[in-house]
This record gives sequence, structure tokens and C-alpha cells, in this order.
Amino acid sequence: MSDRLTRRAGTFLIGGTESHTSRSLPALLLPITVVGAALALVPLWLGDSRVFMGVAVLGLAFACYVIGFNVIFGSTGQLFLCVGALAGVGGFGATILADNVGLPIVVSIFAATLAATLIGGLLSFVAVRRSLGVIFTGIVTLIFSLSFDALLLGLSNLTGGDTGRLIESGTDTFLRERIPPYYLMLAIVLVFLLVHGLLRRSHFGWAFRALRDDEIAAELAGVDVARYRVYGALIGSAMLGLAGSTYAFTEGRISPTTFGFGHVDVVVLVMLAFGGIGTLFGPIVGAVTFTIVDEILIDFGQLRQVAYGILIIVLFLRMPRGVIPTVDSLWRRVRGRAKVVEKF
Amino acid sequence: MIANILDGLVLGLQFGLLAAGLTLIYGLGGVLNLGYGQIAVTSAMTVALAMDAGIPVLLAIGLGLLAGGLFGLLLDLTILRPVYRLHGEARVLLSLLLTLGVSFIIDGYLNWRYPLKALNLYIGGGAIEVLGVPMRRGSLVASAITLFTLMGLFVFFRSTSLGRAIRSVIEDEAGARLIGIDPKKMLRLILVLSGVLAALVAVTRSMIAPVDTTSGLSITVFALIVTVVGGLGNFVGALLAGIILGIVSVVAADLIGSYISLIILLGAAAVTILIRPAGLLGVKE
Repeated sequence: MSDRLTRRAGTFLIGGTESHTSRSLPALLLPITVVGAALALVPLWLGDSRVFMGVAVLGLAFACYVIGFNVIFGSTGQLFLCVGALAGVGGFGATILADNVGLPIVVSIFAATLAATLIGGLLSFVAVRRSLGVIFTGIVTLIFSLSFDALLLGLSNLTGGDTGRLIESGTDTFLRERIPPYYLMLAIVLVFLLVHGLLRRSHFGWAFRALRDDEIAAELAGVDVARYRVYGALIGSAMLGLAGSTYAFTEGRISPTTFGFGHVDVVVLVMLAFGGIGTLFGPIVGAVTFTIVDEILIDFGQLRQVAYGILIIVLFLRMPRGVIPTVDSLWRRVRGRAKVVEKF
Repeated sequence: MIANILDGLVLGLQFGLLAAGLTLIYGLGGVLNLGYGQIAVTSAMTVALAMDAGIPVLLAIGLGLLAGGLFGLLLDLTILRPVYRLHGEARVLLSLLLTLGVSFIIDGYLNWRYPLKALNLYIGGGAIEVLGVPMRRGSLVASAITLFTLMGLFVFFRSTSLGRAIRSVIEDEAGARLIGIDPKKMLRLILVLSGVLAALVAVTRSMIAPVDTTSGLSITVFALIVTVVGGLGNFVGALLAGIILGIVSVVAADLIGSYISLIILLGAAAVTILIRPAGLLGVKE
């Protein structure tokens, strides 16, 4: 039923297959724990290599970005093409506050996250007030991305311009060791998953689903569409800012490309589309898969981009709803058939 | 000040030409082609390679335009097929994602195969004075070509029956079909035309600054912004938006300088979109 509605609303790409949401808390906590336990084992396998641990931390940072983007785009249908820029507000903001102003790391992360949250909320507020559609929201946020990039390159005495900046704060702490940053990022991923899961169970979740399936019907039923859109953007942007700033401190060096449009936004979109837009665990599936694929293809240099292009096209033509919904419906079909067999 | 405005006009005409090809396919087919810049880059590489092979410049440019047109035709025959089956926002979204994939393939391949290649159609000779301001020959030739092309398009859409048929599809697809116009054929024609326009962007741009294999993304992004400011699907609006943004950009660069001018340009675009979401000359639906 909801499937038919989403297609009618013309938003076939924006999730909408999970009509069933688990109501009980254990049913939410269990899969998150399983995912956390599985990912916690990675250092046992790759822990000896500094390079691979760096890749793994970046993969987790991307998982955070995808979850944040999923809350904004997957849940409320606002195409924010400034994922990298909002994470960059966090990353550059926090490190500048810590290094140049001398604030403690935790305080600067908090302040930069707040800044990213407010900017994301403002963008959403403006888009909602002017009732911009998906494409126009995309373009306005893309313009914000480009402006932010120009600003980073322009303020080179603060940001280090093209070459980026070395981060002094946190040099001698656990943030720069080999394995602890991985568990820090993993903890953030799990918290984000929990937050998103709880949101889906709450009245937010009902409102999000209602407005995604049919915006006008939702409005008629008394859902304040505008307000929930802004809430979604605020929460998602906070996630992006927090992930970006934490990642910056663990990495020790950031440049405009660390948070660039081509480097972050495009990848995040592909990861989410692969995993399943609007699903809870799609971001993890997408981020893990593409981090591995990226490592496998690393020797191909520029040709890696060709592979990505082909993958994007095949993905959207064959599996426009992503892995999780596809596997989910396959599983239901198999199970449904099994039940029929039992009857006879 | 006159110098600034003239420079702004040169840039603005370029912006206008950039947006023309993109806005046409959007208006006609609801297709947002993010591979637009890559069509331009492919054509630029075709011209550069042809010139390397000793083919005369004008013929090489002809080959480049042909390559652009063929690229557009190829898109229409392959990747856009499934897109046409959808409608409204879903169509825009799918076309955007698929052409993004195409742009990756082209960018990756060209950067790998021809990493340092660039098209540079430098036109020698001294500066020419216009209204007392010395202008580079390349800028003037590029602007003249752009102006003629845009005027040609304008006349084509106003006065020929084929142009009118295309406009009727933009206005009302069902109505057009009723009076015997095949929207699919018109769309194919427009994709070829937009490919040729993208190639022309590459050629005129390379008279002012080199076009290399990494130029694709910035061409697409600026085309997109100018298109939106002018009003999606509105060809005259695109030209107007291009000229306004061009002048804003050059004047801001002169008064304030460097990176702030880019931010002002982007800010101006954002403000226009917010004040008039339908674009400068757009009509609200």
C-alpha cells in the first residue's frame, strides 16, 4: 500500500518500502548491537596497519555522514547537497577554535557542531518557507557548498588554503593513536543509529513517513510538514557537524578536499542509494561496501572513477531502492512462499 | 567602469551560452543533464586531438561540434530511455543521478587517458579598442560567436515551424501530441542541439582560457546556476541571467577582489532563487 503511494507521489527513489517499523525497544537495540559488535572486531583483523586503520576510521566517518544525510533526505525529502560543507563547518570550525582560539577540544567540537546545526536548520527553514522542491533545495544547498569552498580557499591564513591545515590540538592524546580513534568513531556511529532508530519510532517517525508518502495528505491530517522538515535538518546537520569535527581531530590534517563536494557529497549519495534511502541500516551497508570497493580499486587511479560511474548507472537502473529494501522484499517473498507451502 | 561592464558582458554571454543547452532539455523533457560539462570537455578534447593530428582548425572545430551532437544523441538513445518512462520530480531525480554516472565515466576516462591535455584556441594579434577600452581579440571573437548563436536560436524558436513545434511541447506536451507533434522526436532533436551548444561552449571558452579534462564539473555547476536563476526552461531568461551574473561577478572582482567575488556571484544566484523560485523570467505554474 505504502509502496503504491510513494510511487504515485513521484518519490520512488526516496525509500518508502519499510511500512513495518518495529515497535519494541529490544527489536531496535538488538540489530544495532549486532552491527556494533561486528564492526568492533575490525581492529583485530586490520589493527596492525596504520594505513588500514586510517581507511577504517574514514569509512566510519562516512557512515556518520550517510546517516546524517539519510535523516535529512531519506526521512524528510530535502536534497541537501552540502553534506561535505556542513561536516567542514564542523571540521574547520572545531580545529580553528581549538588551535587558534585555544578552547578545549570538547568545547570546540560542541561549538562547531552547534554552528553546523544552525546553518543546516537555516537552510532548511529558508527552503521550507519558500516551498522549494527537491531540485531547488538541492541547488540552493549546492550554492552554499560552493560558497563554503570558496571561503575556505580564500581565508588561507586560517584554513591553509589548498594544502589544508595541520591540527596541533590533540597531538599527544589518544585521538592520534592507531586504534582508539576507530572505537571513538564507532561509538558515534552507534549513537547516531540509535538516535535515528528512536526517531523513527517516535511521533517524528510517523510524521516523516506520512509526509514522505504523501505530503498533501499528511498536511491534511494535521502534520506540520514545515516544522518536521526543519527538525529533520537540525538533527541531521548536528550529526554531520559532530562527525566532521571529530574526524578532523583524529585525522590531524584537513584540507578543502577533505570536505569537498566531489569528495563527500557524491560519495555519500551513492552510498545511501546503494544501501537504501530512508532505511535504518542502509547507511552502514553502503558505507562499508564502498569503503571496501574503494580499497580494492585503489590501484586503478583515475579509472576508479569510471568504475564508480558504471556502478551508479547500474545501481539506479536495476536497484533504485537500494540493497536493504530489495533484500527485505526478497526475504518476505521467500518466507511468504514457505508459509504457503506449510499450509498444504 | 565601462571596462568592467564590457568584461562582464563577455563573461555573461559565456554564462548565457552555458545555460542555453541545459535549460532547453530541462524545459522540454524535464531532464537535468549533469553530464553537460563533460559533453563540452569531450568536444574540447576532440578538437585538440584533431588539431594534433594536423587537421585544420576550422575542420577540427567542426568535428568537435559533431562529437557534441553525437554525444547528445547517444544519451537520448541509451541512458535516458528509462528516464522518459517516469514523470515529474522522479524523472528529474533519475536523470540527474544517471547523468552523474555518465559524467564520472567521462571524467575518469579522460583524466586517465589525456591527463595534461587542454584545448587552447588562442587568437593572436593586438588588442582591439571598443568604446575606448582595449579588448582581447579572443574575447571579442568568442562573444561574437556566442551572440550569433543565441540570436540564431532565438529566431529558430520564434519563426520556424520546427522551432514552434518544440516550443509547443514545452508549453503543453499532451496538446502538442494532439496536433501531431511527436514529443520524443523533438526531445531527441533538442538533445543533439544541446550537445552541439555544449561543444560550442568549449570552443568559445578555449579562446579566453584553456579548457582541460577537469573543467567538466565547473561548467556543469555554473550552467546549472545560471539556468535556475534565469528560470528553468526559459531560454531568454538564461541569457539575461548570464549577463547579469557576469557583470556582477566582474564588478565584484574589481571592487573587492578574489574569492569574495565568487561568493557574491553565488549569493546573488541564491537570492534570486529565493525571491523568484521560478527564475527571472519564469512563469509560476
